[in-house]
Amino acid sequence: MKTSLRDVDRATVVLGLFGTRLDAGVEPTRWNRWRPTVDICRQEDLIVDRLELLVEPKSKRSAAVVKEDLESVSPETKVLVHGVEMAEPWDFESVFDELLGFVEEYPFDLEREEYLVHITTGTHVAQICWFLLTESRHVPARLLQSVPPGRDPSKPGSYTVIDLDLSRYDRIATRFDRELDRTLSFLKSGIETRNEKFNQLMERIELVAIQSRAPILLQGPTGAGKSRLARRIYELKAARHLVDGPFVEVNCATVRGDGAASALFGHRRGAFTGAATDRAGLLRAADRGVLFLDELGELGLDEQTMLLRAIEEKRFLPLGSDQEVASDFQLITGTNRDLRAAVRAGTFREDLLARLDLWTFELPGLRDRNEDIEPNLDYELDQAVHTTGRKNTMTSEARQSFLGFATSPEATWNANFRDLNAAVTRMATLAPSSRITVDQVREETERLRSAWRSPTPTNDLLIEILGAEAAEALDRFEAVQLADVLKVCRNAPSLSAAGRELFSESRKRRTSVNDADRLRKYLARFGLDWNAVRGNP
Amino acid sequence: MMLRIDGSKGEGGGQIVRSSLTLAMLAGRPVHIRKVRAGRRKPGLLRQHLTAVRAAAEISDGKLVDARLGASEFRFTPARVHGGRYEFSVGSAGSAMLVLQTVLLPLCLAEEPSELVLEGGTHNPWAPTFDFLQRTFLPLLALMGPTVHAELERPGFYPAGGGRVRVEIEPVSELVPIDLLDRGEALERRAVASVANLSPGIARRELKAVRSALSWDEGCLRVEEIEGARGPGNVVRLEIRSACESLGEGGSVTEVATGFGRRSATAERVAREACAEAKEYLASGAPVGVHLADQLILPMAVAGRGAFRTQAPSRHTLTQIDLVRHFRGGRVRDDLPITVDRDGATPQWLVQVGET
Repeated sequence: MKTSLRDVDRATVVLGLFGTRLDAGVEPTRWNRWRPTVDICRQEDLIVDRLELLVEPKSKRSAAVVKEDLESVSPETKVLVHGVEMAEPWDFESVFDELLGFVEEYPFDLEREEYLVHITTGTHVAQICWFLLTESRHVPARLLQSVPPGRDPSKPGSYTVIDLDLSRYDRIATRFDRELDRTLSFLKSGIETRNEKFNQLMERIELVAIQSRAPILLQGPTGAGKSRLARRIYELKAARHLVDGPFVEVNCATVRGDGAASALFGHRRGAFTGAATDRAGLLRAADRGVLFLDELGELGLDEQTMLLRAIEEKRFLPLGSDQEVASDFQLITGTNRDLRAAVRAGTFREDLLARLDLWTFELPGLRDRNEDIEPNLDYELDQAVHTTGRKNTMTSEARQSFLGFATSPEATWNANFRDLNAAVTRMATLAPSSRITVDQVREETERLRSAWRSPTPTNDLLIEILGAEAAEALDRFEAVQLADVLKVCRNAPSLSAAGRELFSESRKRRTSVNDADRLRKYLARFGLDWNAVRGNP
Repeated sequence: MMLRIDGSKGEGGGQIVRSSLTLAMLAGRPVHIRKVRAGRRKPGLLRQHLTAVRAAAEISDGKLVDARLGASEFRFTPARVHGGRYEFSVGSAGSAMLVLQTVLLPLCLAEEPSELVLEGGTHNPWAPTFDFLQRTFLPLLALMGPTVHAELERPGFYPAGGGRVRVEIEPVSELVPIDLLDRGEALERRAVASVANLSPGIARRELKAVRSALSWDEGCLRVEEIEGARGPGNVVRLEIRSACESLGEGGSVTEVATGFGRRSATAERVAREACAEAKEYLASGAPVGVHLADQLILPMAVAGRGAFRTQAPSRHTLTQIDLVRHFRGGRVRDDLPITVDRDGATPQWLVQVGET
């Protein structure tokens, strides 16, 4: 039910644009048409004391007719005509500027007057601008929307007053927020993360995932959850009908070498020895879906070239085929390397990186998200049901003890969520009942401690050159090798000399080996080049 | 003492509000009207009612409490009604005639003469038209004493409105009773089809339909093209002036039946509606038509006596009678009997105010 719009003392003032299409007309038949500006002043239950009518120069004459008609149908209304110039009525900036200019000059007097902004006239752009100006309280008004009459066109129709401060809008806003919460929680796999920076990051990713088809690059240390997040982004896009193909995940480290191109781009039967049948390839499989390329830094230069073309043109040539294949996929890439350094070292294509890092998101390691360890612990406990086949809990003493260790500086969480997941799985499996006790926690913290402490040789050199974070993210397998390589490099006079020393056995067997190039490529996999290794800026 | 009026009783709309205002001024009594237009689609005081409320307050130096748009109740305390120059405008092409009706009788009994300018609708459905007031009502009011001269400066039709009526009132201190008990031969018949900003062809079609429905002479029919109206408009009015001996030697009464042109109705249908109303009046044999009946109650109550024969009384008429019973005092006589009875075996009803 409509309540009285009119306060005892305050006058009702309507602000609105002259509707060049709806309000115009000079013939007597204009009375048989709905004219929002005239009809909003013909309402039986609304008296407009003053109408501030914004008129473009070209509508001056039509507006004069409206003014005259208003004197007749609404003697209570004082009509004030204001000239406005919308350079381009369909251009947001121009309309917004013009309206903003008007309301900034307007002497609003809320003591004596109440304001209604009539949004029915003007372009949709104007309507949106009024909304924005009102919502931001540049205009201290309620919105007034008029509705055309039903059967009898000489009737004035009806109207609705929308208070952006009031409950109805709140309900919509709440729904919006709830929806946003749902998607954010979705991206975070339902884990109630508390880390402010991480939550902001998720909000940003949510926005980008929904608004954009552009590639997304997820950067972060091993086990930071890149793969899980990529799948979540895909599921979010799918839920919003932004993709209708599958999620295809490829770890580039596993498709290195000869098979790489074929695995990614497919091949024709007989393209090479062993190509017994046609193979569609993973890019083709991701058509209309999402392709997640993890450990992108491992991708060979040839494959990078093909990938760049596939992204830019949505077409590529399978091996041994003379016919291009189309695949329209959205790309998410993941890396724990500094790809810029790889570009400098010549192992990663600069133009490809430029295409991929429009949206780069840096995922923090678990150590930097101390406050999120507890919710993730709960999440892992829930997930452990899949491995242990039972619902797992912790005694409160056990939980306290585990969290105490997990959030201490001692806990470096080298492999991040992978470590946490492994720790919880082990504790849950070893617990005699479904309850994890302090015994399992004690055993597990010891295990973690020794794993993280395990000294890698010349650890200091790794940290010095790669930085602590990247050095710790290395698998032990790699760390040992790299540390030795770096030691050789440090002691060698040049890249070539270092290469000769490192590949001396190969040299004996083969006649021509480009040792320097081989070493350069190896270093580039870690984002390193000769200068970086030598400690030169 | 504050009189309480339940606005949802009887006619339950704007009439009960306006008549209560008029009676409050005549009786000199404060009134508290509650449940204003309760149950209507848009309940409470609407714009045109508010204009009447404010007009009443203006001519009587009255005090208003809570009288605002949409109000479901309000209080009105009139002081002395004084004549003078007044201008009242009704928005949304609401009837200016209803505003006139609210203030007319009190001003006819004021100490000073008045000059009114009313703006708004002059020919609205569901309200007396200017022609009805001028030809039917005002001549009878003149017989009761006051001289009221009304002039239509510009007609106002729905939806454009903008009509303008000037009214001059020469007041009296008391009203003289009249009786309208008989209807003699028809002295004059007239069918006028008016068009404003519309094709005169519409008016001609209407008159053709009138002629075939009522078999009136060609000479009674007239097309009127109105200049200067704000918007389009069309009405057909049928006037029937008949002898009425109970009004005195050479007395006559005029009935005006009106058909309102509108987009959803053909010219023929508009004409037929007016004709149906006229035929019913003619068939009843009573001097007072349905619309005149409710207009006569208040002046007769002020005069203290009067009687008329009419067609079956409308809800409006019964509401007026009921309201008069509430407002005793001042210009409205105490213990005033008002009776409404079927007049024997005829289709007529006899309304009697005061002792006969």
